[in-house]
Amino acid sequence: MPEYTLLTVLGLVLVVLLELLVLRTGIFRSLAYWLSMAIIMGFQVLVDGWLTKLHAPIVLYEESQTLGIRFPFDIPIEDFGFGAAMVTMTMALWLKVTRPERAPRGAA
Amino acid sequence: MHGEYLLLLAACLVITLPLEFILGARVHRRPRALLLALLPVLLVFGAWDLLGIHRGHWWYEASRISGVHLPGSIPLEEVLFFLVIPICALLTLEGVSRVLGLLRAWRAGELAREWREPGAVSGVFQGSRPTDAGAVRLPSERTGDA
Repeated sequence: MPEYTLLTVLGLVLVVLLELLVLRTGIFRSLAYWLSMAIIMGFQVLVDGWLTKLHAPIVLYEESQTLGIRFPFDIPIEDFGFGAAMVTMTMALWLKVTRPERAPRGAA
Repeated sequence: MHGEYLLLLAACLVITLPLEFILGARVHRRPRALLLALLPVLLVFGAWDLLGIHRGHWWYEASRISGVHLPGSIPLEEVLFFLVIPICALLTLEGVSRVLGLLRAWRAGELAREWREPGAVSGVFQGSRPTDAGAVRLPSERTGDA
């Protein structure tokens, strides 16, 4: 498997485990999280699309380190895993800090 | 244009500002909580970025970045990216939570109160009222679902 692809899968798994085993904020059971992820990914298409546009790229990729699938626009699909891992870790840490009394079960 | 990446990040911050100052997301106003949430993310994903750069997974178009690099030849913009995008994500999460809370309060006929006191009627995260990080909350502060 290409290295960026492999690291993306690994990153996602580690962040999910961080939440389920360590932080236990219950974020994956909250409607707010999934709605937020949908909104964030929508904006990621715009921002990441701008960063990776092949006719005038800001970030360039070694294609052999990715699956080579660029969608939508010219975004390497691995970027969505990278982004999801990053913002999920951020939000879980944020909930841990700002809702310290929150029990792990019974999220909205 | 050397400022292109910087401008893109600035636009992300500006576009999300109304979530803080109109909707009342209260992310920028909790710098301690923000630091605690962002620092581990900056370290982990900054390390991933360094790995990606040094393994040749990706690189940056010199004419579209400021040219300021940090140790490890990571562009300044990349470090800012790991601060700006997480902040936008938190504003989204808090903004969505606020809207869901307002919807619940509206159904309970308590919209005005919820607007004045976020989380007072029905916070999204277990009725928890947004507090400053580490603030101790008294049981009496919990109003429960209306």
